[in-house]
Amino acid sequence: MTATSLNPKPPLRVRIRVNRLVLYTVLVVVTGLFLGPFGWLVLTGLKAPDELAAAPVHWLPDTFQWHNFADAYQLIDFLGYARNSLIIASIYAVLVTLSSAWVGFGFARLDAPGKKTLFGILLGSMMLPQMITLLPTYLIFAKLGMVDTYWPWVLWGLSSAPYLVFLFRQFFAGLPRELEEAAIVDGCGYAQIFWRIFLPQSWPVLSASFVIAFTWTWGDYIAPQLLLSTDKTTLSVAVMTTYISSAGTPIANLQAAASVMYVIPILLIFLVAQRGFVAGMSTSGLK
Amino acid sequence: MSVDQISSVADRPRSSADAGRTRPARRPGASMTARRHRAFYVFTSPWIIGFLLLTIAPMGYALWLSFTTFDGISPNWHYVGLGNYRELMNDSVTWDALGRAGLFAVISVPLSIIAGLGLAVLVNRPIRARGVFRTLLYLPAVVPPVGAGIAFKNVFDQNSGAANGALTFFGFDAVGWLADPYARYVLVMTVLWAAGNIMIISLAGLQDVPRELHEAARIDGASAWRTFRSITVPLLSPVLLFQTVTGMIASVQTIMPMLLAPLSTPAGLTTVPQSNYTYMIHVFSQYFALGRYGYASALLWVLFVLILIATGLIFKFTSGVVFYNVDPEAKK
Repeated sequence: MTATSLNPKPPLRVRIRVNRLVLYTVLVVVTGLFLGPFGWLVLTGLKAPDELAAAPVHWLPDTFQWHNFADAYQLIDFLGYARNSLIIASIYAVLVTLSSAWVGFGFARLDAPGKKTLFGILLGSMMLPQMITLLPTYLIFAKLGMVDTYWPWVLWGLSSAPYLVFLFRQFFAGLPRELEEAAIVDGCGYAQIFWRIFLPQSWPVLSASFVIAFTWTWGDYIAPQLLLSTDKTTLSVAVMTTYISSAGTPIANLQAAASVMYVIPILLIFLVAQRGFVAGMSTSGLK
Repeated sequence: MSVDQISSVADRPRSSADAGRTRPARRPGASMTARRHRAFYVFTSPWIIGFLLLTIAPMGYALWLSFTTFDGISPNWHYVGLGNYRELMNDSVTWDALGRAGLFAVISVPLSIIAGLGLAVLVNRPIRARGVFRTLLYLPAVVPPVGAGIAFKNVFDQNSGAANGALTFFGFDAVGWLADPYARYVLVMTVLWAAGNIMIISLAGLQDVPRELHEAARIDGASAWRTFRSITVPLLSPVLLFQTVTGMIASVQTIMPMLLAPLSTPAGLTTVPQSNYTYMIHVFSQYFALGRYGYASALLWVLFVLILIATGLIFKFTSGVVFYNVDPEAKK
């Protein structure tokens, strides 16, 4: 910093300051743009219907219509749909976390002929277009009479998710070998080793996996739309499809209010569990 | 690609540690090994069974359906051989939809990668409240598609949307954003909105770039841009490649056009504007609007094969460009 006396051109410091100014301006503007759509959703949820119809845009509501949130909550069985979402997302997240940990343990700590091939298939299946398998899966579930039940989520949960398996595998592979060697000498089975020794060590991954799986299911639109009837369906479907007036036009302000209430739990979960969430994200990006 | 890299990392501790230590120690080995093998299959069976029943079986079922006229209702459906595929070849709606999906992938994926990488570089600098900026920029990527769809429908609403508000404020004419031909831009913007995802993943990669490389470059007098291009991008290239492939696959499957349509249900598929009528939307309309399960299954299989080919081509053409940082330490 004191190098200015040696340096014949003082602009250096000025230049750094200008650079910083530009940097912060860009950051603030970009962050504003990224938050804009959500902010606008909140504002729309606070406006009166006639403000939304008026031609020059009303940037801010004349009076904040806080009751829109209560109205949106009462217009449909909001709580019932939220409960459905909560049940489905919890069932899936608990099951898929446990099954993926179980499978991940196999890939991290055990060996058998064909393991390499299977692991390759597992990684490759992460890239399988899920929408392509979902539509025929729906037809099969329909045939088996599982439409309008939560069984599909139980089955999906039990069958583990490649992405989470990979997450657990990476974690378990990093734990020291001595951990199970003593147990093996003591005659413990692998199931016991997994349950008593490995699972208690892996709270960070378990919670990250739960949060990721929970937010997937909470956010899923297509599977519940296809598999569940109007009163058993999830909040995501309800928010998207039920705020329609008797004239068939969307009730934009109430729908916006409802979708804010629908999104906020996810944002809160993310903010609380950020660390695990982001760790999960970045390991998925191949390490 | 990544697969080999990952599995080689996986086998590393085993091959070096096991070979030296555990083998001679445990002589009653045969039964132990058999037990280990059995245990491996017990542990991986949930995935193996699930994969066979919930992925392979549906795909096989779809393949079978694609040779029939099955519609889910009419009992007298029959086998038509390659009939559906022949129809598909001559269907200009299918080809247009495929072209649109391809164009959307080719435009939105690189744009979001550039945006995500740019953001990562930006928030990787020593700035104040860095964590806050990172969190806020990442936040939209967590918003579920339904929330994103409704938010964008409101921002780009013809009358009450902020986008037209801004346009008229600056003296331009309001635009029908959610209709043809503008709807496609809104669709691309929904992808860019989630660029925080790529930012986080690139950020992890950026922090792995050895400091010495940057220092050496600076000593050699390389400019910031040059350093970025010749050091940062090559070191990030495996991550970026992975993002490109998964991004393409995701973008081809997206149902966002449906969520942005005036009526966002399978029944409202007819309200999707022409410029957002992508291949996946075409598949959904065949399935749900027309109940043509056979034909739609043929469409799905064609898409599946095309994705496989595209993925293969991407890996083939990038094999010389993508730089894998093989840690010399780990190789021993």
